[in-house]
Amino acid sequence: MNSSKKYWNSLEQLNNDPEFEKAANKEFSEHIPVDEFIGKQKENGSSTSRRDFLKFLGFSLTAATIAACETPVIKSIPYVVKPEEITPGVPNYYASSYYDGNDYGSVLVKTREGRPIFIEGNKMSSVTKGRLTARINSSVLSLYDSRRYSAPKVNGEDSDWTSVDADLKGKLNSIANKGGNVRLLTYSLNSPSTLAAISKFGETFNKEEGALNFKHVQYDAISYSGMLEANERDFGKSMIPEYDFSKANVIVSIDADFLSNWLMSSAYLNDYSLNRVPDSNKKMSKHYQFEAFMSLTGSNADVRGAVKPSEYGAVVTMLHNKIASSVGAASIKEGSINDDNGVADKVASAAKDLLSNKGKSLVVCGVNNPDIQCVVNSINNMLSNYGSTIDLSTPLKLKNGRDSEMVSLISEMKSGNVDALLVYGCDPSFSLPAEFGFNEAMEKVGLTISLDGKPTFTSEKCNYVAPDHNFLESWNDLNPKGNYYSIQQPTIKALYSTRQMQSSLLNWAGQSSDYYDFMRKNWEANMLPMAEGKMFFDSFWNHTVHDGVFEVKSSATEETAFTNNASAAAQKLGNSSEGLELVLYASNSIGDGSNGENPWLQELPDPVTKVVWDNYITMNPVDMGSEYEIKTAQETPADLAKVSVSGQEVILPVVASPGQKIGTIGIAVGYGKGKAGADLIGKNVFPMSTLSNGNVSRNLSGVSIEKTGEKYPIASTQTHHTMMGRKIVNETSLETYKKESKEEWNATALLVDAFGRKKKVEELNLWNEHPIAQGHRWGMSIDLNACTGCGACVTACHAENNVPVVGKDEVRRTRTMSWMRIDRYYSSDADPKKNDGDRNYAAMENPSAYPEVVYQPIMCQHCNHAPCETVCPVAATTHSNEGLNQMTYNRCVGTRYCANNCPFKVRRFNWFNYVADEKFVDVNPAQDELMRMVLNPDVTVRSRGVMEKCSMCVQRIQAGKLDAKKKGEPVQNGAIKTACSSACNDNAIVFGDINDKKHAIWSLAQDDRSYNMLEELGVKPNIYYQTKVRNVPAPSYEKNIEKPVEEHSA
Amino acid sequence: MSVFTFTKKIPKISHLIAVAIMFFSLSNVYAQDGENLFKANCASCHKIDKKLVGPALQGVRDRWEEEANLILWIKNSQDYLKNNSDDSYASGLYEQYNKSIMPAQALSDDEVVAVLDYIDAWQPATPVAAAAPAGAAGPVDAGEDYTFYWLLAFALVLIIVIRVLIDVRKSVRSVMVEVKGEEAAPEDSMGMVEQLFYWFKQNKKFTAFATIIVIVALAFQGWNALLSIGVYQGYEPEQPIKFSHKIHAGDNAISCVYCHHSAEKGKHSGIPSVNVCMNCHTGISSGKVYGTEEISKIYEAAGWNPETSSYENPQKPIKWVRIHNLPDFAYFNHSQHVVVGQVECQTCHGPVQEMDVLYQYSELTMGWCINCHRETNVKMKDNGYYDQLQKDLKEVYKEEGIEEFKVEHIGGLECAKCHY
Repeated sequence: MNSSKKYWNSLEQLNNDPEFEKAANKEFSEHIPVDEFIGKQKENGSSTSRRDFLKFLGFSLTAATIAACETPVIKSIPYVVKPEEITPGVPNYYASSYYDGNDYGSVLVKTREGRPIFIEGNKMSSVTKGRLTARINSSVLSLYDSRRYSAPKVNGEDSDWTSVDADLKGKLNSIANKGGNVRLLTYSLNSPSTLAAISKFGETFNKEEGALNFKHVQYDAISYSGMLEANERDFGKSMIPEYDFSKANVIVSIDADFLSNWLMSSAYLNDYSLNRVPDSNKKMSKHYQFEAFMSLTGSNADVRGAVKPSEYGAVVTMLHNKIASSVGAASIKEGSINDDNGVADKVASAAKDLLSNKGKSLVVCGVNNPDIQCVVNSINNMLSNYGSTIDLSTPLKLKNGRDSEMVSLISEMKSGNVDALLVYGCDPSFSLPAEFGFNEAMEKVGLTISLDGKPTFTSEKCNYVAPDHNFLESWNDLNPKGNYYSIQQPTIKALYSTRQMQSSLLNWAGQSSDYYDFMRKNWEANMLPMAEGKMFFDSFWNHTVHDGVFEVKSSATEETAFTNNASAAAQKLGNSSEGLELVLYASNSIGDGSNGENPWLQELPDPVTKVVWDNYITMNPVDMGSEYEIKTAQETPADLAKVSVSGQEVILPVVASPGQKIGTIGIAVGYGKGKAGADLIGKNVFPMSTLSNGNVSRNLSGVSIEKTGEKYPIASTQTHHTMMGRKIVNETSLETYKKESKEEWNATALLVDAFGRKKKVEELNLWNEHPIAQGHRWGMSIDLNACTGCGACVTACHAENNVPVVGKDEVRRTRTMSWMRIDRYYSSDADPKKNDGDRNYAAMENPSAYPEVVYQPIMCQHCNHAPCETVCPVAATTHSNEGLNQMTYNRCVGTRYCANNCPFKVRRFNWFNYVADEKFVDVNPAQDELMRMVLNPDVTVRSRGVMEKCSMCVQRIQAGKLDAKKKGEPVQNGAIKTACSSACNDNAIVFGDINDKKHAIWSLAQDDRSYNMLEELGVKPNIYYQTKVRNVPAPSYEKNIEKPVEEHSA
Repeated sequence: MSVFTFTKKIPKISHLIAVAIMFFSLSNVYAQDGENLFKANCASCHKIDKKLVGPALQGVRDRWEEEANLILWIKNSQDYLKNNSDDSYASGLYEQYNKSIMPAQALSDDEVVAVLDYIDAWQPATPVAAAAPAGAAGPVDAGEDYTFYWLLAFALVLIIVIRVLIDVRKSVRSVMVEVKGEEAAPEDSMGMVEQLFYWFKQNKKFTAFATIIVIVALAFQGWNALLSIGVYQGYEPEQPIKFSHKIHAGDNAISCVYCHHSAEKGKHSGIPSVNVCMNCHTGISSGKVYGTEEISKIYEAAGWNPETSSYENPQKPIKWVRIHNLPDFAYFNHSQHVVVGQVECQTCHGPVQEMDVLYQYSELTMGWCINCHRETNVKMKDNGYYDQLQKDLKEVYKEEGIEEFKVEHIGGLECAKCHY
């Protein structure tokens, strides 16, 4: 170990909980489910004896033999007229875009025989640069969701388009004729053609210039209204500027979870990641985070300060005044904080770093409070960040919703002044504060029309449903920021009798309902003139649709006058409140809940708590122990607690989350989706949010919590992979990394031979080498600095490799099937003098309230001396001469020796036939006739009783090799990407041929930061990790630490 | 003298014959020309007995009053229409075919006449199989194998002979006992089965040996029987259309990849879609064997109406019976073998160009794949992908002196090359 930090991956491990010790000593914490299938016999009153079993065995063998003798008749039905672009077995890629009001991404859709099966990033986009989030690449599954509307509906009954159109045209016409009010409520729209279609629709009601009979109200479930208001005050425009994280050397974030849920996180992930890797001058960005709950972004910060939500204002004003005093600006009213983790020092240090990086820094804030945002604007202004890292001339167009507009809409509705309400893409019944009374207001509206493609709480209450296509079936254009446009093109014919929302509006407005045509005309009129060197529309259009993007970089930076309102704003900021506070946060996998039913996302563990299929109350373990006597629990059922705030109550389980500010709790929004009556996943806490200062606040005070005394099972994916204090994650500080030699912070593992000599691992080799020196040697490098733990790789792996979704119950039995997991370790500084040995946890018995976090993606390490291969009795797992550890399902008999012998615990056993067992009907998408279409036809769907694990996307490797062979050239660097490396956009995960010097992986494997996990075992993995460097000074003890030598006898 | 005169006559006769031959061959040349000219210039739009793009041509001479006009019309119909606007038949024809213009033909009058002669002389070809019974679908069995029945009969005869001989021996023995008064041998009093066991007891070594042989033989047979489970070599199902690869790939020498074009691009060779059939079969509506019966099935699938020569009916996909079925867990890519490996289609699919009914030629077992991977050289020459690998492998196999590498040398026997 090169630093004295101790890592533990669950609190039970840290506390040496007896339950945990028992579980940790078992590879499979659950018994084999023999009882379950024998149990069925017992129900019938008979018992299965050994003789019976042998009889069955004999019978089934004979039956199988006889069955196999029958000649199968398999019909093959070719196309009658084959589309030119489709070759069976060869995928097609189409550029498209994803936008659901919360996430934006320019994407490439992989289709096989006309079915979209995989979504990856579009590198031609300079907005997202090829990076995606887990929510975007999982969206392909939502296309096949059988819960989508299959036809238009009238008062809950299925109908058809002709009669719905006739009905609605008549009703809307009569409203228009009498001069009634029509309101369209949507999520933030930025599509120029959609907005044009909406104004065409509006013209039928707004007969005169400036009439307000029709209004389009935009609304964001996760509101950015405060930011818009602040910018309106400071810059005179209700807009959000572009933030450029790639240029920021110092990032200070106050409650902005920009890696998972703040503005355009898909773009920020890429820019942030690349800046986190020390460059050739050993420089990297420094990230400060101040927040109440442990967010994904906070867990990546170099320095994290835990503060109460009511203290955000104080932190911002403190930072403001520290900087103001240095640059000679006026100071403002400063708040005070109840400091228990050196926040004041951290703010001071942040101010110092910011000042030394003027113009190359960013201060971002996620609090929906215009006053706080005004102070933040002032800080950025003092640091001259406007014009460098913050671009006002390229406004971000993802969030336009102003809460005040929503409030006035509801009061209009309540007063009965709205004759027709059209709702599209948002679910106000679900996501608005209860105090708004949207549901009651809706009852006062004569005609309600939903344009959503799938049932929402709002659409279920509407008179008419005119369902929209899925985005993979639609034509559209998007305008995420400035003059950056992207195209959405259909990749499959509409699965159901749905129609694009824009077509519906055009139709009801009496126009031609061909939206594609409408959009082309709009582009010809408005975008073609912007295109340089393009004379003819068809060529311009085809080019744009092919690339998926059309980008006009603004040359001149618009000068926007800044009015400093910080001082006035600071006066309005309240003091920190006493008592328990609640943060309603958006989780990394579910976000605002718009894709909450997606099983891939539900099974994607939360990056920090690793809990799946539930939302819960996060609480600092210190609070749990002292204040509320709630048991620290991840393996045992969790305690349920009732949270009450201003008359609303919710009962949820409590999960320990070190790093959560003491005196606060957190609950994820976006859960509790699904059809009424059915089992909902989690509980909806959106209604608890409240209007404060004219904007919706998700930070609440005056909260009380009490234990109900009941228990609730929680499924968490990380408690069963024990690391036992070995060198798994190698971490160092930037100072040590800069000053010391490689051996100081990334020591080569040494073993002691029979004569007591210390030797390198490869000198004490037991095995013959595999012939991996010739030809390819596939390998991967995972940079722990660039990895943010976002989980896009995990869902991409699910999609690519047909990894079954197993559901909460099975996850609880430690039977997750993910080929790839992201392990999260909390670290804390323990005094090395008390540290008496690697395997002693005594020094860490007092849990750290505010630990640091590291993430480590783990998949099969493809060891060149793989321990699993030597124990397989049937040679079902073997080594390839390209360095892959191969798993042959049709050979596997399921002894599970390999899993027992795997030091990395990456092998997964198919306990059930997940695609057919009735137990998994609700969770496994492959059980659904339609959802099965998402399966990748190049990868076998595994059956019960076989082992599986990461294959390093061997199907992609083989396809890439074949491509190179056909071209007659060597495999180029970057030509083959695994699902995870493509989802990661090669930021953290880089795949390639280690034997080929032209491949990036070759130099990465030689890098000083590179190391193999558990090197001392001598298993020689083909996966390399890059040491995590934290941008902090070297801890004082690190210098005089006696370097431990791993004492393993060979 | 007579000899002389006789010999003198010979040249005359030969002259006559020569003239006759010349005469016949001359007229023959004309007919042949007419056929060739028709096929080269007219057949893409006209058929003799039915409408194609243009009208059926049988009796065209009778339909025109003046042959000279017909010839002019054929040579350039547009000119003819311009100059003879009063010809109601010609303009009617032009209207009837939606004013589609027949292109001008660069033919001499003689050649047009030759074509017209050919049309007059044309007789519809009698479909060969129209006479053949419909039940005889597929290839005629090349003589059933009667060996087994012969062997069975032979064995029966042998058994009878043995039985008779045993009886004879028994009778002789009892006669001997009676005559010589010898003690009866112990086996005489036994039944057949008892005698057999007695004999086994007397010949223990032989019995043991024979038993082992029988067990080994049975085990061998049993093992083979088990191995053949799931092997469908020779699988020859009846297809919805009696499509003959022999006619298409053999007689007409159409390249395999004309129809199975995705064999060069993807993992499937692809069953051609109906529009590929229609490339040729819009013109060819009748086959040699089944006449229009089978080809009309293509028309039905494509929704083609041969009467109006247009796609106007609903399409109905053809449900072919798949012959080569690999299990789902085995990955096979045609383009890898066809393009990179430059393997001939026939290597695995057999003499397809001789198959009237397609059958599975190869075992398609894993052993069969592996064998080929052990024996086949990788086509490394002129493929930049293999340059470095070839260099490295030559270094590795220096001692063995291997210069050409088999698929197994580059990892072609590894599990995850086909199973993932």
